[in-house]
Amino acid sequence: MLKVLDTAELGTWVEAIIKAHDVIGIQARADKFDFGPLAKVQDLRLDYDVSLNAPKRFFLLPDEKLFTFKKDEAKSAQAAEPFVLFGVHPYDLIALRQLDKLFEMDNPDVHYLSRRAKAIVVAVDVQKPSAHVFAGCLGFEHVEDSYDILLTKIGNEYLADAATAAGEKLIALGKGFTKADDTHLAARKKIWDENKQALRRHELKPNKAQITAQLEKSYDHKIWKEKARLCFSCGSCNLVCPTCYCFDVADRLNWDLASGERVRTWDGCMLEDFATVAGPHNFRNQREARYRHRYYRKGKYVPDKIGEFSCVGCGRCIGACVTHIANPVEVYNAIMEA
Amino acid sequence: MDRPRVAIFDFACCEGCQLQLYNLEEGLLDVLGLIEPVEWREAISDQSDSYDIAVIEGSITRKEDEERLKDIRKRAKVMIALGACATIGGVNKLKNQFDFGEVRRTVYGKDAEAPHLDTARVKAVHEVVPVEVKIHGCPIDHFEFGTILKSVLAGKTPSIPNYPVCVECKKKGNICRYEYNEVCLGPITRAGCGAKCPTGGFWCFGCRGLLDNPNVDAAKEVMDIYGKTVDDLSGRLLLFNNQS
Ligand code: SF4
Ligand code: SF4
Ligand code: SF4
Ligand code: SF4
Ligand code: SF4
Repeated sequence: MLKVLDTAELGTWVEAIIKAHDVIGIQARADKFDFGPLAKVQDLRLDYDVSLNAPKRFFLLPDEKLFTFKKDEAKSAQAAEPFVLFGVHPYDLIALRQLDKLFEMDNPDVHYLSRRAKAIVVAVDVQKPSAHVFAGCLGFEHVEDSYDILLTKIGNEYLADAATAAGEKLIALGKGFTKADDTHLAARKKIWDENKQALRRHELKPNKAQITAQLEKSYDHKIWKEKARLCFSCGSCNLVCPTCYCFDVADRLNWDLASGERVRTWDGCMLEDFATVAGPHNFRNQREARYRHRYYRKGKYVPDKIGEFSCVGCGRCIGACVTHIANPVEVYNAIMEA
Repeated sequence: MDRPRVAIFDFACCEGCQLQLYNLEEGLLDVLGLIEPVEWREAISDQSDSYDIAVIEGSITRKEDEERLKDIRKRAKVMIALGACATIGGVNKLKNQFDFGEVRRTVYGKDAEAPHLDTARVKAVHEVVPVEVKIHGCPIDHFEFGTILKSVLAGKTPSIPNYPVCVECKKKGNICRYEYNEVCLGPITRAGCGAKCPTGGFWCFGCRGLLDNPNVDAAKEVMDIYGKTVDDLSGRLLLFNNQS
């Protein structure tokens, strides 16, 4: 369902949504933007460049209780609450789509999936490119599925594309929506084309297939060592990444030392002990091996698994790395030169 | 099973970590149900005493303290270093930067030469005797203390992070201090505090000590990106991570 709303009417609509739902919305935070509980419509900032934190944190929680246990019994702690996630950029939505695939595979992850199933996602096309975004180089500047509603600002109007019944219901909360026509679709196509060019703050030379193929023969490339020299193994590049999904699981005992809870917390392959197994044996104890692994995950291992390139070009890792070595564009350009 | 006998001993410190134990509140009663406290705040009186767990607070700053610590070690099955003074030497290690005669004159004035005011290089507990468990932080986090104690009492290896503060900082979703050109020790400092300082809007002082394998060279090398010098970094490291 395609509708159009005058930007002047957006506030009333969002207000109605806030009244009816819990809303996590994009808003200003210090000199940046981030997602958080949206208390009032004035805080919503659809003109943002990039959110400090990727929206994955509302589905794969940084710290999460999985279940509580007593001697011979366990009780699931699963409790997904419905909410509206308002203002997700296309590249971040593509990242969520990838996580959906990964968490549905093999042993479906009920904790992640039940949150996803209950959430209504309102995506918005990018209005202002961030400092490091390169999603345009990857074709991830726009998205054509996986949203409940996609909003695109066209002049003084928002085109609202509701793709699901939940999305249509949200639109029904608004007043002043009018019918869209072909000119709106053409205008949106034009914005997608423009964003393909604008969301290229770093220029990736190879295409996705070329990167995956080149990684096949880049295991001993000198870049891994060169870059890893300055690596803290701090995991910041993992944890800010919208497509990183690794976690660790641990038990927290109560004072009776018999009952307790099982929790999971974010983990990352750059961390020194990530690959430590019983023994203890660490099969990636070299910084450069861990450094290399992340680029293989994004460019080859996950693509081999789900058929999609697993860096969406959000640029967050580039900004988060204190030593400025985490830029996938630099690395993938370099391996092409062999 | 008999409750394990647990003794706490103070060396050079502010006793703030022991104070944190009282912040366990109801948890403190649980602790006392599981252990039998002995020697709370007292020196060894009965030479035959032995302990299942000896908790050492404070750093080792004098020859006679080293002897006392070795004696405690002989009687303890498990030794826990409590707080930054004990685990890494803590703020006390600042002293190692200076000439000890000058240190004594500055602190004690005309009494400086008195023999009982003798002083030596400050050491962390593990620099004198082997330590099984380190509970980091200045002060310690009482929640972490509880988690570690439960592991020890359950006969498990406590999991003490060997990843940097950045991990907890990112989990909290904080804005990195480096975004504002502030030197934060988070990338080389052991996590476990929940990134308390960056979450409060300050850089990390490094009170939990360095990681097992910190990339200090990288930290130095990137200072100029932020308009800082190696001295700026080294100065920050002195507070808790003086390696002398
Ligand atoms: S690797 Fe970096 S640029 Fe790519 S999706 Fe992850 S954080 Fe974004
Ligand atoms: S293996 Fe590394 S790159 Fe992959 S999801 Fe896990 S942390 Fe992220
Ligand atoms: S953010 Fe930078 S320093 Fe930290 S693990 Fe990633 S590449 Fe290494
Ligand atoms: S503020 Fe400090 S601890 Fe947090 S991410 Fe930045 S460097 Fe790491
Ligand atoms: S952030 Fe750093 S200084 Fe602050 S409590 Fe944690 S380890 Fe200590």
